[in-house]
Amino acid sequence: MSVYVLEGLRPWVIQRVSGVYIALFTVYLIYCGVSAEQTGFELWRAWLFDPVNSVGVGLFIIAVLFHAWIGIRDVILDYIHNIMLRIFILALVLGVLAGSGLWAFRILAFRILLLSVVN
Amino acid sequence: MKDKRPVYLNLFKIRLPVAGMVSLAHRASGILLFIAIPFAVYLLDLSVISSDGFAEVMTILQHPLVLLVEVMLVWALAHHFFAGIRFLLIDADIGVEKTQAKYGAWLVVLASVIIVALFICELVR
Repeated sequence: MSVYVLEGLRPWVIQRVSGVYIALFTVYLIYCGVSAEQTGFELWRAWLFDPVNSVGVGLFIIAVLFHAWIGIRDVILDYIHNIMLRIFILALVLGVLAGSGLWAFRILAFRILLLSVVN
Repeated sequence: MKDKRPVYLNLFKIRLPVAGMVSLAHRASGILLFIAIPFAVYLLDLSVISSDGFAEVMTILQHPLVLLVEVMLVWALAHHFFAGIRFLLIDADIGVEKTQAKYGAWLVVLASVIIVALFICELVR
């Protein structure tokens, strides 16, 4: 079976590169959270509007989507052998990830960037 | 391909070494984190809509049952983080040798427990 979705080396590399970025950005997120002297709605929005953080969060979301897809895909391929069930669950996972990704993009693009510019 | 060989894979009778447990837990924590993604996006959305939404997120995050889920997710994130670093090091041929692999695995377990303890301390403070 040679379907792109089941192949090996490229996902292996993507998994590691995205993993490193996710790990670094998670440390940055925790640092920002812990070192914040004040919290609140306006500060939270301002933090997300900051160019470094907007781009960082955007990349983080993309990295998480790829990382989760490859990881969950591997688990499904290992444990679910019935081909129809496998395709069904893979599609379900892809749907959840694509949906979450588009939703997150919508938040970042329209609720944060556009709205902040309009105001 | 038909394979008639018997397979013995009773997970309750296999005693995994600690490195095996860490590997298994890496998968389990990854699945937990995956399930958390849509909920995290929902909370992100709510938190940026309005200050009421932001306050609502804060209330949700302090609900006792949600706190329980948070503790579980903090463990999942910490374990996945440290076990991931360990696997990257093993890819680079660091810590492959049997004793080192064992100590590395224990270090992952210990580090995740410390992170969970810190999180709980922060909660009750």
